[in-house]
Amino acid sequence: MLIHKDMKMADVIHLNHHLLHVINRFGIQLGFGEKSVKQVCELHQVPLPFFLEIVNTFHDSTYFPVESMLQFKASELIEYLHQTHQYYLDFRIPEIENYIRRLTNDNSFDEEIKVLLLDFFRQYTHELTIHINKEEQRVYPYVLALEHYLQDNKLEKELVEQLKAYSIHEYEEDHDDVESKLFDLKNILIKYIPQPKDSRILNLILHEIFELEKDLNNHAHIEDLILVPIVEKMEQDFLTISNQDKTL
Amino acid sequence: MNEVVKILVIEKSYIIREGLKALLSQMGLAFRMDEADCIKDSFQKLLEKYEPQVVIANQLQLSEKWHGNRNSTAFTGLIIIGIVHSIPDENQTSHFDFTLNVMNSKSALTNDFQDIFVKIGLVSEENDSETISEREADVLRLVALGLTNNEIAERLFISVHTVMTHRKNITRKLGIKTVSGLTVYAILNKLVESGELKGGRKE
Ligand SMILES: [Fe+2]
Ligand SMILES: [Fe+2]
Repeated sequence: MLIHKDMKMADVIHLNHHLLHVINRFGIQLGFGEKSVKQVCELHQVPLPFFLEIVNTFHDSTYFPVESMLQFKASELIEYLHQTHQYYLDFRIPEIENYIRRLTNDNSFDEEIKVLLLDFFRQYTHELTIHINKEEQRVYPYVLALEHYLQDNKLEKELVEQLKAYSIHEYEEDHDDVESKLFDLKNILIKYIPQPKDSRILNLILHEIFELEKDLNNHAHIEDLILVPIVEKMEQDFLTISNQDKTL
Repeated sequence: MNEVVKILVIEKSYIIREGLKALLSQMGLAFRMDEADCIKDSFQKLLEKYEPQVVIANQLQLSEKWHGNRNSTAFTGLIIIGIVHSIPDENQTSHFDFTLNVMNSKSALTNDFQDIFVKIGLVSEENDSETISEREADVLRLVALGLTNNEIAERLFISVHTVMTHRKNITRKLGIKTVSGLTVYAILNKLVESGELKGGRKE
């Protein structure tokens, strides 16, 4: 069953509480009262179709309506992707790191193993941060400038030259996956860590990693299958317009 | 196996789909089953959507019309099992890698499934085939110490190609892909001492 605009937002959470994190990314917080999804979205000025499609891709892993998602506005999509990055770096990653630090508290593990895991996880965090920074500093500003240009049609020669210097293909080509190390960490924790007396904290870590992995997959799908084609289309429009204008 | 096997079932009959699920659940295989009751779009599209490793399809849904496409590169590595309701005619099922007669008894079907999954390597016959060999442990040790494939080949007097094959097998068996992940494994299993590692691990 997909999330529907007339459902009560509170019921959406009862149906699938994992969606809370996703809903937060739209600037929507708890305290829904009896309001429907539609009403909550209106209140927070979130475009309803955008909200529904994103939330539903999380709710049902087989649901990914490319065609309708290609109608999204680039700036909306980027705001969402940006909020997602923030969530990873400010919340999920530090949380996992905290759990790893706590591993030795109950003497389940040697200090050495904790350091080993912490070191590995920090390498992962470093990789993820580089990946995200590249998108935030290079790719997203480019897309926003492109959208801005297409809306206003401002013919500043300098901007046009800048836009021509980059293409979303570059991004498409070196958009690497950031899940390999997470995948490894899962197997290390599930199979190869020496058996602890008490694995409750390990369970929590694993749970967090599975959640993060699922989230990252969805995020990468949106970047590859939605953002890239939307920007490709914008680039075509941009070329048509800038070529027509002989003054440039 | 380290990842969940994705299986796509294309079969109209709800009862047969549920039956397949019940049989598969007894195989000791971690799988996720997606279901399509018919091919509305193209088969290709279904494959893109679900990215299955194994397709189990009703013979009528995936008929021999589609046979010509079987060799296309889009389908390399994909295993297609045909669902039939009687002893099949060879040339109607030649596009399937295996067939499964749903009119058979439960034990016969369980055996058939077992055979198929052992043949395609998703279920192993002996349990210990997933542990790494001594040679692989040698390679793993050197990987953890930060040696390149070329250096490993020289050190062990084997070809670079052989080193790569060992590395592929190590990754498949352990479910660990990255050099830093393998290093953690090597330390945990005392293949290397953390003191032996030169400075920061690379990658
Ligand atoms: Fe991203
Ligand atoms: Fe990304």
